[in-house]
Amino acid sequence: MKELEKTKRISIALTLFILAVLIGLLTYKRPKHTYAINTQKALEKITDNDFFVTLEHINNPNYVPIDVRSSNEFEKGHLENAINIHTPEILNEANSAFFKELKELNKTALLYGNNPHEANVPFLFLYQLGYDNIKLLSIQNSYSQNKLISQNCAIEKSENDIQTFINESVKKANVKVVPKKIIRPVKKIITVQKKKKKAPEGGC
Amino acid sequence: MGPLIPNELISFEWSSIIAIIIGIFFGFILEASGFSSSRKLAGVFYGYDFAVLKVFFTAAIVSLIGLLYMDYLGYMDMSSLYVHPTYLWGAIIGGAIMGIGFVAGGFCPGTSLSAVAIGKIDAIVNVIGIMVGVFIFSELYPLFEPIYNGYFEGNITLVDSLGVNQYWFVFILTVVAIVMFAATDMIRKRVKKVFY
Amino acid sequence: MVNRKLVKFLSFRYIILATILIVLAGSLVLLPKYEQQEGISPEELLSLAISPERYITTDELADRIINQDPSLLLIDVRDESDFKKYSLPNAFNIPLKNILNADSESYLNQDAFDVILFSNDNFHSDQAWLLCNRLNYKNLRVLKGGISNWFNTIINPKKPTENMASNAFELYTFRKAASIYFGVAYPQKIIKKPVIKKYVTKTPTAPTEVQKKVIPKKKKKKMPIEGGC
Repeated sequence: MKELEKTKRISIALTLFILAVLIGLLTYKRPKHTYAINTQKALEKITDNDFFVTLEHINNPNYVPIDVRSSNEFEKGHLENAINIHTPEILNEANSAFFKELKELNKTALLYGNNPHEANVPFLFLYQLGYDNIKLLSIQNSYSQNKLISQNCAIEKSENDIQTFINESVKKANVKVVPKKIIRPVKKIITVQKKKKKAPEGGC
Repeated sequence: MGPLIPNELISFEWSSIIAIIIGIFFGFILEASGFSSSRKLAGVFYGYDFAVLKVFFTAAIVSLIGLLYMDYLGYMDMSSLYVHPTYLWGAIIGGAIMGIGFVAGGFCPGTSLSAVAIGKIDAIVNVIGIMVGVFIFSELYPLFEPIYNGYFEGNITLVDSLGVNQYWFVFILTVVAIVMFAATDMIRKRVKKVFY
Repeated sequence: MVNRKLVKFLSFRYIILATILIVLAGSLVLLPKYEQQEGISPEELLSLAISPERYITTDELADRIINQDPSLLLIDVRDESDFKKYSLPNAFNIPLKNILNADSESYLNQDAFDVILFSNDNFHSDQAWLLCNRLNYKNLRVLKGGISNWFNTIINPKKPTENMASNAFELYTFRKAASIYFGVAYPQKIIKKPVIKKYVTKTPTAPTEVQKKVIPKKKKKKMPIEGGC
């Protein structure tokens, strides 16, 4: 009788264990979208590689222009053969299938918006999801007489030398007394609260 | 409490409450499985009962496998787990002292408390001994400090320091553990039965 | 009586348990490996990225700098050479390629400051923002238009023409005052010259007076959880 008692206990434990494993496996849902590269690698890639395409090279048959503006603006005017995928809808099933297809066909998607900044977010976003067949069209769009006008535009160009402008203005103002001190950044001391890992001591 | 409190998923104040609840269950299970008997605990050294060894190894393996699966499926993040810091010589010396105490007294610190709860006199003596030990240690702390705080290796795991694939490591560990269980079972059958 | 077959089956219970463990451990080895997901889910990241909340305008930023908002932390993600030429007052320089380094993390991943990222326009700062937000850093914002926009609006504001609305003039006055704060001097021929002069002389010293900011570290009571079996 004692032996039977023991058996019962172990079989209960066994059933519970298997049940836990099964529930864990059955309730698991694979996330729909997963990142293919981690942030460090993405950063290396975007700082090392050149991913800009200018307007002159757009006629390459391998390029598929994709308009990330809203459908409203797309209707107003868009590049030839462009496909409209608005940024917030970029993760839709149809759209991700489309990007996958492009990758399989070895075609390059050219993202563009009203300016390169608009296409920047969807670009880096898709890049992290593993679509490395993506380039950015560095153009600026404007409308003139209901027609879309696209121009090349530079990115991250410092147009104005601000320091000289300020110095210049001071000179022009003819203020003699102004002591021109460059504002030096005051060192801020930042103590970051380290995520403390608590020490559960012991263990027999 | 695992990854919950350090990542502020639940507030810090809950830790005492959770600790009490877990502690009650832990004590109950220790007692229910006979771990409050010093004969059973010491049996592992004399070869007539390997329950302690089996229980702790199984617990380690089950949680290890479970954690790896949960990590794999994305239910939790292994990297946010707490890894106990290694103080090499402190751990070795402390482990040896604890082992001697284990054989001599027949209890480890936790089981002695659960044995006190059911009123065993030897366990009460054992706990008093622990208290005396704690007192001596804290009085002589300046003397022990270099060992206690020295030889710090950081929060390393076996997988880190051996540099092997964690999945293979777990698999080999599981096989080794099960072979060990079978071997200890054979030893147990050869040793004269002790009734307790 | 209990079913005999069941009893017989259960007499192998240890073997069954052992095989389950080995099978589970073995399938861990055989499981297909994929890149560990890092940071928040793509859906979450996208919804954060399309929200206009993440931008700060140059006017708002100028206002906060002038009022010496203590919770402001400016991060310049341009190269060092650009940073040396000109940057916003009290800004820190973390070039884009270093943005994920371990020591940048202490600036970006904290909840004591509002971190404002900026570059020449908002291209590189947007990229930095996206990467950091994926890692779930909070309180990050991007200066809309970056330094060039800063120049066009704050440092060198355009005078509104006569036919513009009155709030355009208000905006212009604010921006002009702000530009004086940031060191630009105007050849004022009319009235109140001394006042402006005073203003100008005062400004460069004002930001340096900002004291060292020490954030009190929230100490958590550390209570070692003793125990074990």
